[in-house]
Amino acid sequence: MTIASFGSHNWGMVVDVDKCIGCNACVIACQAENNIPINTQDRVERARSISWIRVERYWEGDFPDAKARFIPIMCQHCENAPCEPVCPVYATYHNSEGNNVQVYNRCVGTRYCANACPYIVRFFNFWEPVWPESLRNHLNPDVTIRSRGIMEKCSFCVHRIRRESRKARSEGHEIVDGAIQTACSSACPTTALNFGNFNDPNSKVSKMRDDQRHYTLLDQFATDPNVIYLAQIDADKKVGVGEAATHG
Amino acid sequence: MQQRRELDQVYTNRKLLNGQLDTPKWWLPTVVTLGLIVMIGIAVILVMVNKGLGVTGLARPVYWGLFITTFVFWVGISHAGIMISAILRLTQAEWRRPVTRAAELLTVFSLLTALVFPLIHAGRPWRIAYWIMPYDVARGIYPNIRSPLIMDPVAIGTYLTGSTLFLYIALLPDLGNLRDRTTGWRNAMYTVLSLGWRGNPRQWKMQTVGGILLSALMLPIFVSVHSIVSWDFAIASAVEGWHSTIFAPYFVIGAVHSGVSAVVTMMALMRWLWKWDDFIRPEHFDALARLLIVVATGWLGFTFLELTFALYGQDAPEIALREMQMFQWPWNGLFILFFLTAYAIPVPMWLFKRVRTNIALMFWTSILVNIGMWLERFLIIVPGLARRTPFVYTWEAYRPSPVEWTIFIWSFAWVTFLMLLFSKFFPLVPLFEQKESQVFTDDVMIGRAKVPAIVREAD
Amino acid sequence: MKLNRREFLALTGKTAAGAVIFAACGLPERELIVQSPVDLPEDLVRGEDAWYATSMGDFTNGDGVLVRVMQGRAKKIEGNPDHPVNRGKATARYDAPLQLLYHPDRIPEPQIRYSKSGNLVGISWDQADTRFQEALKNANGSLTVVTNPLRGHLGSVASKFAAQYSGKHMAFDSTEQGVLHGAVKSVFGHDQLPTFDIANAQTVLSFGADWLGTWGSPAQFGVKYGEFRSQSDRGYFIHAEPRMSLTAAAADLWLAPRPGTEGDLALGIARVITTTAGLAGQDNIDAFNAAVPGGLNDYGIVDVANRTGVSIDRIEKAARHFAEHTPSVAFGGGSAGAHTNGSFNLGAIYALNLLVGAVDARGGITANPSSALKDIPASATGASFEAWEAELAQWRAGNVETVIIRGANLVYGMPNSVNVREALSHVPNVIAFGTVLDDTMDLADLVLPEQMFLEAWGTDIPEPGPGYQVVGTQQPVVGPTISREEAGLISDARGFGDTLLAMSDGSYGSSMERLVKGALSDLHSTGSGSVSASTATLFTNGALQRGGWWDTSKGGSSKVGKIGGSAATPEFSATDSLGKGDDFTLIPFQSNSLGDGRLAATPWAQQTPDPISSASWSTWAEINSEQAKELGIKEGDVLLIRSTSGEIEVLAYPHPGVRPDVIGIPIGQGHHESGRYAEDRGSNVLSILVDEKDTETGALAWAATRVRVQRAGRRVKVPKFEGNVEARQVEPGVPILVVGVGETAHDAQEANHHLYQQQFLGGDDE
Ligand SMILES: Nc1nc2c(c(=O)[nH]1)N[C@H]1C(S)=C(S)[C@@H](COP(=O)(O)OP(=O)(O)OC[C@H]3O[C@@H](n4cnc5c(=O)[nH]c(N)nc54)[C@H](O)[C@@H]3O)O[C@H]1N2
Ligand SMILES: Nc1nc2c(c(=O)[nH]1)N[C@H]1C(S)=C(S)[C@@H](COP(=O)(O)OP(=O)(O)OC[C@H]3O[C@@H](n4cnc5c(=O)[nH]c(N)nc54)[C@H](O)[C@@H]3O)O[C@H]1N2
Ligand code: SF4
Ligand code: SF4
Ligand code: SF4
Ligand code: SF4
Ligand code: SF4
Repeated sequence: MTIASFGSHNWGMVVDVDKCIGCNACVIACQAENNIPINTQDRVERARSISWIRVERYWEGDFPDAKARFIPIMCQHCENAPCEPVCPVYATYHNSEGNNVQVYNRCVGTRYCANACPYIVRFFNFWEPVWPESLRNHLNPDVTIRSRGIMEKCSFCVHRIRRESRKARSEGHEIVDGAIQTACSSACPTTALNFGNFNDPNSKVSKMRDDQRHYTLLDQFATDPNVIYLAQIDADKKVGVGEAATHG
Repeated sequence: MQQRRELDQVYTNRKLLNGQLDTPKWWLPTVVTLGLIVMIGIAVILVMVNKGLGVTGLARPVYWGLFITTFVFWVGISHAGIMISAILRLTQAEWRRPVTRAAELLTVFSLLTALVFPLIHAGRPWRIAYWIMPYDVARGIYPNIRSPLIMDPVAIGTYLTGSTLFLYIALLPDLGNLRDRTTGWRNAMYTVLSLGWRGNPRQWKMQTVGGILLSALMLPIFVSVHSIVSWDFAIASAVEGWHSTIFAPYFVIGAVHSGVSAVVTMMALMRWLWKWDDFIRPEHFDALARLLIVVATGWLGFTFLELTFALYGQDAPEIALREMQMFQWPWNGLFILFFLTAYAIPVPMWLFKRVRTNIALMFWTSILVNIGMWLERFLIIVPGLARRTPFVYTWEAYRPSPVEWTIFIWSFAWVTFLMLLFSKFFPLVPLFEQKESQVFTDDVMIGRAKVPAIVREAD
Repeated sequence: MKLNRREFLALTGKTAAGAVIFAACGLPERELIVQSPVDLPEDLVRGEDAWYATSMGDFTNGDGVLVRVMQGRAKKIEGNPDHPVNRGKATARYDAPLQLLYHPDRIPEPQIRYSKSGNLVGISWDQADTRFQEALKNANGSLTVVTNPLRGHLGSVASKFAAQYSGKHMAFDSTEQGVLHGAVKSVFGHDQLPTFDIANAQTVLSFGADWLGTWGSPAQFGVKYGEFRSQSDRGYFIHAEPRMSLTAAAADLWLAPRPGTEGDLALGIARVITTTAGLAGQDNIDAFNAAVPGGLNDYGIVDVANRTGVSIDRIEKAARHFAEHTPSVAFGGGSAGAHTNGSFNLGAIYALNLLVGAVDARGGITANPSSALKDIPASATGASFEAWEAELAQWRAGNVETVIIRGANLVYGMPNSVNVREALSHVPNVIAFGTVLDDTMDLADLVLPEQMFLEAWGTDIPEPGPGYQVVGTQQPVVGPTISREEAGLISDARGFGDTLLAMSDGSYGSSMERLVKGALSDLHSTGSGSVSASTATLFTNGALQRGGWWDTSKGGSSKVGKIGGSAATPEFSATDSLGKGDDFTLIPFQSNSLGDGRLAATPWAQQTPDPISSASWSTWAEINSEQAKELGIKEGDVLLIRSTSGEIEVLAYPHPGVRPDVIGIPIGQGHHESGRYAEDRGSNVLSILVDEKDTETGALAWAATRVRVQRAGRRVKVPKFEGNVEARQVEPGVPILVVGVGETAHDAQEANHHLYQQQFLGGDDE
């Protein structure tokens, strides 16, 4: 039996947009898991709220044909991440497991990475995070509290990956597919969010990734994300509408 | 061509050392007022560092705003120095002589000011050591030299060092002069600073060779500094309006446009404040305005190119950005203002000699150019970030906060303050250059008029 | 200069130079590692965590959860993968109770008010017990115990306690489900709500109920919805609701009937099915006709389309899908039942299942069995509004000596018109339990800090259950928490059940823990179900570890009856006397994060963006965007919403997903007392409801209020997550790629790209 080792994994997410109902369970699970500061009304109004995963709602059509479509967006953990080369201090870099990592200690808060990221999933701490003393009881000891002046973003719940890897290693087995769930994928009631190892051809995410509906966000930037989306299905969409345009 | 007064050496010395030997009346109140503004600005900066960047108007996704705009603006202004003294020196443009010192000073002070902005705009300015120095070598962490934010301090640092040396070398003969005319602590200071300047031929030769060598060395820096600043933006491949391949030359020529205009502004002020009508003369304004017409038109070409690239490439997001920049409120208002002030008003005016030799008009048109060039940087940086990305949820506007405006105003007060302070101790117009030009100049009779002409040894 | 080591350290900082020098001097390098700039702290997780299984008590309809506990503090709440209801999954409301547990304004100790006009002052539990006992002394025959609808042992303790004093136990639910229970009872003969086999249905047809967000058992339904969409042909989902809830947004076909005409719509669909050859079998038609005595003569499609405002082809499309792509299931609730004709509406909706043979069938309606615990009902619902009006009259008349309130925010949850405040002032002893002071507790004479479900023992019978018997267990996962600032506890709270039991004669138990363990050993003796163990103790531990006990073999069954309620058209309150403005039908809806307001005190619930508007921290009003344009209403306009019951201020949020003439306002804000995060924030839409009732059950018809809407003349920024424009995709397929059935992403992308190039550069469309 081989012992689980770092490097044999490429963590990724498959997001089935067709199943996302926009319930925001993922959003709040991530807030709770990752000690994200309270998004006060002022922060929301001034576009300074922090939400490592956000669910965007897009309108289509008008009443009575209006449709609302939802898409969860978090750091895409790009293999070819535009945020990484611009950081002067290597505070954001790629680790050997496909994650884009943010080292808070090193970040000086230039916000350059956030400008460079086309997905706008990087969040700057404009203020020192504060919780009333009693609320600090629920803070997750596995996750650093980010001071003001630094950048943060979805970490793929790296502490959960580490915890499970450590456990698997001490128990002497490979990490079982599905044993690691990020806070968001664990919460998602409809299994729109799926987390796993793309290096394992038999993992759930590897199989889902082959779905004919798979696409990545903003592929024109060739960021090679580790978050793969599966297209929303519209039962009433007439296939081939654009066909004429394509070939004619 | 115009007539002018013949200047003797005594008159030149007295007039140009006026600032150092006896202080003009307006000097103290102005410096004190500016000093107050500077102190308020520094206090606001400290408050901001203490409280956090929450006091700015920045927000997702406009993470860069007034500070970076003003940073680029001051780096642009700093291009005045090299343009005027190095390039014109190498090309032996004689009219440059009276303004070289002030232009170099402007370079040094605007660079010092520019440097403040990236530092204070960082979330944790006290950690900048990580950023620039290979601080943690023991753990294998080097700065990321791929990042323009590392190239920036390197380029600007080099430029600052070079400019300071350049300024200093050119100051040596004048320091000797001052040493000989002062007593007490001033004399002591000038003695140390003048490094034993005696004005013997060997020293003159070394001084001249040093100046020319530095001029030549500074040329690549001149090109690189604003090129590198432009890469702060150009490298962000996902930001429409930023990732243009023409940015480096575009930024450089824009910098020259704003820098030379700033020199014009400063010359007008010097002429008025110290009554140096004999040294800073209409023909200098005339020459600078001619240069500016060429530079501004070249720059306009780049601006035009940048806009047409979007149409030419038929890249929809790029077109959308340009549309926002030019046709959507409030960007359209700023855009029109920018175009009018940076080109449409001043340049056609400069076509007329009457304007070029009118000091007041030159003063105001050069101010307009810098309003326009500041807006140009703002219109590149902010709409680029506030652009309409596919993620509509992130569409937000940006409104600078009073804190940002205060620090913005501080930067102008600070540069002026430093210049005036400098003028108290050192001559703003280089005496030796002035005298050198008198040596090279002769008067030619054309009809009844005596007009200046430049003669040079045919070596 | 001579430096000692410390100074030298300080001088060199943690620099590389320092490290090299120290390495050379043989000084330990770790001295220098204060904060590693190389690694993520997250790379080095330390400490062991424990995950305890429990049930979420008041905060869901019986979902089973795992609570992560580290060093005695609860850190995270996630779904319990073993639990048959939510199967490991969650909703946006799961974590917020943690912030009630550690709420900075949690009531620290018992508090008393010496006179009705006095202030609350802290007292000891001994003093509080004495005061409680005094209040009970004279309460025989005049005691009312008011709670939220309680399932499991807590409900039975409350009822028995009330009975011991010959008093009443009344449950309060602001958006009451009485109509739903009544309709389900009359059509299927169920005492408890059935569940729906959404996962195996081909067509789901729902009305009014926001079942993916807030209605029924959203976590359970969410999991089933995921499975529904995973079927090989994906399933087809039709939803009818006047405003677009997140459930409506998930639908393939959204119908927006006029409020109150959902029954019409259901019968219109039935009529299409019964009159179109081949859509329904004769057996099914007969069964349907037997259950709908009024017949379908009045439901010609043209009339129905006129009455409901839903176009003929949409009705036909819904009917065809429902009848052709079986198994199908129809259900409804929420605003569909909250009308004066609510019972009829829901009856008609549920009767649709008869047309497709969905009752007790795969992919249809699944009956839930009765409780596995004796004396503990498997269902709980609030008393009807009518009953409450009668009760409040008793309070006013001075006939009630003592009222014990727990989990029921009457002052907040009832319309202004019934004036609960005034009624409470006539009750000599008002005793209220809770975690954070709310508007009702603020009027109590004795306030008792109550333990949360994370701290107390209990059982829960999920409703709707999964279709078989389930007993969820609730155990204390954390002990009392010592506050960091002071030496004392954050809250010296006691369990509601335990406090009542301590005051009781002891005939129905001595403590909640004993009751729970006793009940579990009773289950052990049945010898069946999900836990098998040799001894009762092992069984009890096993059940607690798994979060409960369930028996898939114990299902329920239906006895088909008739729909109740007459087909009367819905009645709405009058607006003639309300001054200037435009008339709208008010549809209040539960907030996806605050629920009916019970989570409003928590910052997480406050900050969670609403799925549709993305707004938070405020009360907004959804109106149709085209109508808003006509009326000159812009986003952020402060609107005055006036009914005969009162007036509130809300922020306009126009969008295309709401029926014209309907105004949707979320429930949950507008508390005067609710801790620092919720106090005096937003407006309470419940306060302006008018006392229209369902004619059948006397339930509050909470969707039958008509309001007059006027602009206040101010505009503010809506605190929303969406950017500064209405979010519509600027480029087809980015970021949401939509494919047709069977279409590949690649084909769709290519087609979109050409479409976009044409639109953008060809200039023919935009
Ligand atoms: N949040 C949180 N709090 C905890 C715990 C937790 O896990 N989390 N754990 C608790 C437990 S189990 C413990 S033991 C305590 C530990 O709590 P503390 O005893 O406070 O332990 P440290 O913070 O590790 O170190 C104390 C200080 O000693 C300094 N020091 C190191 N070496 C020397 C030395 O040779 N001489 C002197 N004079 N000083 C030295 C260190 O630089 C540091 O500043 O914390 C308790 N508190
Ligand atoms: N790198 C590094 N390592 C260290 C230290 C350090 O500063 N740095 N500090 C050292 C020190 S001082 C200490 S004390 C140790 C602490 O190391 P540990 O003793 O491992 O302490 P915790 O990490 O707090 O883990 C205790 C576990 O017990 C569980 N627990 C809580 N209450 C109970 C209970 O009533 N019963 C049972 N069975 N379990 C319970 C908690 O959920 C938690 O998972 O770490 C040491 N190791
Ligand atoms: S999504 Fe953005 S933050 Fe994440 S890796 Fe890619 S560029 Fe970096
Ligand atoms: S904000 Fe932090 S992570 Fe981002 S580029 Fe600057 S230093 Fe690097
Ligand atoms: S993976 Fe973890 S950090 Fe990333 S969005 Fe999900 S919960 Fe948040
Ligand atoms: S939890 Fe799942 S379904 Fe809900 S919003 Fe997030 S991704 Fe969508
Ligand atoms: S064609 Fe374009 S992308 Fe290719 S190398 Fe040349 S500039 Fe780069």
